Amino acid sequence: MINPSNGMISTSSSAANAQSPGLKTYFKTPEGRYKLHYEKTHPSGLLHYAHGKTVTQVTLANLKDKPAPSTPPAPASSFSASSGVRSAAARLLGAGNGSRALGFVGGNGGSKSLSGSSRIGSLGASSSSTSMINTNFDGKGTYIIFNVGDAIFISDLNSQDKDPIKSIHFSNSNPVCHAFDQDAKDGHDLLVGLNSGDVYSVSLRQQLQDVGKKLVGAHHYNKDGSVNNSRCTSIAWVPGGDGSFVVAHADGNLYVYEKASLHYQQNKDGAGDSSFPVIKDQTQFSVAHARYSKSNPIARWHICQGPINSIAFSTDGTYLATVGRDGILLSLYRLFLTFNSLYELKFFVQSRLSTSFRLFKRTTYLRWKKLLWCAIMLCLENFKGVFDNKVPLNSMDGKYILTGGEDDLVQVWSMEDRKVVAWGEGHNSWVSGVAFDSYWSSPNSDGTGETIMYRFGSVGQDTRLLLWDLEMDEIVVPLRRGPPGGSPTFSTGSQSAHWDNVCPVGTLQPAPSMRDVPKLSPLVAHRIHTEPLSGLIFTQESVLTVCREGHIKIWMRPGFAESPSGNSETLLSTSSKEKPLLSNKIGSSSYRQ
Amino acid sequence: MEISIMAKSISSKLEKALGDQFPEGERYFGLENFGNTCYCNSVLQALYFCVPFREQLLDYYANNKNIGDAEENLLTCLADLFSQKKKTGVIAPKRFVQRLKKQNELFRSYMHQDAHEFLNFLLNELVDILEKEAQSAKSDPETSSPNEKIANGPKNPQPNGIRKEPLVTWVHKNFQGILTNETKCLRCETVTARDETFFDLSLDIEQNSSITSCLKNFSSTETLNAEDKFFCDKCCSLQEAQKRMKIKKPPHILVIHLKRFKYIEQLGRYKKLSYRVVFPLELKLSNTVEDADIEYSLFAVVVHVGSGPNHGHYVSLVKSHNHWLFFDDENVEMIDESAVQTFFGSAQEYSSNTDHGYILFYESLGASNKS
Repeated sequence: MINPSNGMISTSSSAANAQSPGLKTYFKTPEGRYKLHYEKTHPSGLLHYAHGKTVTQVTLANLKDKPAPSTPPAPASSFSASSGVRSAAARLLGAGNGSRALGFVGGNGGSKSLSGSSRIGSLGASSSSTSMINTNFDGKGTYIIFNVGDAIFISDLNSQDKDPIKSIHFSNSNPVCHAFDQDAKDGHDLLVGLNSGDVYSVSLRQQLQDVGKKLVGAHHYNKDGSVNNSRCTSIAWVPGGDGSFVVAHADGNLYVYEKASLHYQQNKDGAGDSSFPVIKDQTQFSVAHARYSKSNPIARWHICQGPINSIAFSTDGTYLATVGRDGILLSLYRLFLTFNSLYELKFFVQSRLSTSFRLFKRTTYLRWKKLLWCAIMLCLENFKGVFDNKVPLNSMDGKYILTGGEDDLVQVWSMEDRKVVAWGEGHNSWVSGVAFDSYWSSPNSDGTGETIMYRFGSVGQDTRLLLWDLEMDEIVVPLRRGPPGGSPTFSTGSQSAHWDNVCPVGTLQPAPSMRDVPKLSPLVAHRIHTEPLSGLIFTQESVLTVCREGHIKIWMRPGFAESPSGNSETLLSTSSKEKPLLSNKIGSSSYRQ
Repeated sequence: MEISIMAKSISSKLEKALGDQFPEGERYFGLENFGNTCYCNSVLQALYFCVPFREQLLDYYANNKNIGDAEENLLTCLADLFSQKKKTGVIAPKRFVQRLKKQNELFRSYMHQDAHEFLNFLLNELVDILEKEAQSAKSDPETSSPNEKIANGPKNPQPNGIRKEPLVTWVHKNFQGILTNETKCLRCETVTARDETFFDLSLDIEQNSSITSCLKNFSSTETLNAEDKFFCDKCCSLQEAQKRMKIKKPPHILVIHLKRFKYIEQLGRYKKLSYRVVFPLELKLSNTVEDADIEYSLFAVVVHVGSGPNHGHYVSLVKSHNHWLFFDDENVEMIDESAVQTFFGSAQEYSSNTDHGYILFYESLGASNKS
């Protein structure tokens, strides 16, 4: 299983050239090499906006194939017809040469200049690049959405272009979090939360089709922070929630919004905004509903005193997990809130809460208080498959939750047992992103084994990516139990040892302290960026890593590394033709303001 | 004159910012800089907002005013400074700085000084003063010492070579912790444990690491060999050995000094390490001898501003009544808690960011988790 490392230098990787010294363009795992495939970044010169203020987050957006290219996409009502050429234009204009695009628009007298610019775009683009672009955003396409400073950038996941194809600038505040729902019915599929507390919902396709640098067709919520003026920290669509979504804020509040177009008439004056009663006791959990029935948000949950750092839904929408800095036991208890539907929530949240709370008290959660207080990041398995709707090979069954935080540790929580069942030590700084690799399949998994193996990854402010293997028996018996001293049993050097080890050893007793919880050691640990990392995403073909400053790297999985490298050569040849047009220098200067 | 005018504008600004939330009885004043005395001002602010230390200093001062009546020393100067009545504005710590320069020639010049060296000197000086006063109080049978008696009698004063520590003063109670230094001779396998007391922990730092990670390295096992062999008493010779440091008794106030000024042999001089070392607002200390984790809460940071070791500036960040304040000599400003993270350091070597956390002050959150 283990790929023999023969010191082969990966020369085929096209994106590998502009590497920082000391960083490799691949990393090794027992199943083979992950090769750096593409890098995505924002135009330089924006960095100073971001320093220490905003942290880049990444959202993957998969636009579904539309039945016929001639059918105008539903949300883009102002957009008459769509064609590959037009897409190309918008793409090119939105990409490297924003200033030129602006110049053309200006030359057209600011009138509806889409056709004009599209012609120019098509003239400029070589035929090969247009054909490549044709496959994009009017049809199926996967996009990377990321925030840097005062802008949201959109890049094409499957193109080798480093620069984004679209930038959206926010004049009032910095965007800090976003979420995408490919099943959104009314076309508004992208949510953006701002530092000022403001929230927007938009159609991603409509943004891609627009040549401007502003949001188009947006619904604006919590305008100028009228409901809550503290920073948005995390935003999420309610799975199966018919367009409803939740926004977490830095003051410990979480708001539930209803689908805008059904229940909420956009009110330009903000008069439709909700008002909520004053929170009497900041330390207590409370749920309040908006005073006016037709306002949005419809409900406020006060979760904790400090910031809510992250939220995540289980894929079926049953659970909402939150982590906050002073979360302590509150967080854990929140971790298991049911969220079946907003309506049910309205009526049943109180009783459900009290049930969970009793349960909570009876068990040993208090002991886990210490583990959670510093958790800043959380991820729930998305076993439905965010990507291509593909059912992953490994059963991401929603049984476990990963957290990581300011104690440099990664923790695995069992939903059934409602406690930490394993923890991992290996980062040299805070853990900033964790995710299950739902596309990974265990080398031993033929469906007959009694244990389930999970692969997960974590990234940290130590600029490293760590991969972990977690082996779980049906009755939660983790392997690799540390010796009494608590030191790691398996170092990265002896990874093969547990690779073949399927049989669980020992049974996990109710643990009085973390020292008795099985400790994991990372399978691999690689320094992959120069800046502290802020997140990672697993896709079927690759792993995406992103740093705080907004640089994204896409690492191809071992199995996929061969075929895309063939593609990348053709892409390279097209890119060389395209280069004069999409010069990086022009691109970066044009984004300076 | 000028200062009082400036003070007024600062005080009104801060009072306006705090509004009704101005904590009762709390004082936020700037400290005048007498030419490169920011090393002193920044540390004094951190100590002032170390509330148990401040309270015990003022208590002691109030109860012992008569003892050293005629004599002025650093303790009386510090207590004078800390007991001033201004709510906001600017104070000139003139007597304190004069006394400091008199006491130690190191601080006499107008050169840039090391804040950590000053803190170390000050705490040790306070202990000396308290010990002397306790001695004189003891030798004078008429007055009974308000301090704890010397722990004599059953206790052997020198087990395992502990530094003579006859008196536990309130300075000790706040800042002192005990490290145990275990050395295992690799030849005879004898483990020698030696306890050491400390007022602060000086940690080596690495790029893009955390305090937790630095503490882990501090306690990690180190092999003594080659030039650096260990003299084993049993073998009566220099031997290879393994050494590790653990915290035997965590202090109430944990002061962490980041070794940002490092002697680089190739350069033949000191260099400032601008590494990004993240420090949490709540720290869990796990490299202790006992199994229980101790939790600490950050309440002050002394920040070094500048790219080199021999010049620059010191400022401090302080948490008081759940607000964060920024002290830059005379200036006092409120800052958002999220601003603390801008003082972590630079993720890459060449950066315009030169404000780096240098000394961290954590206070224990009380009883540890026994379960």
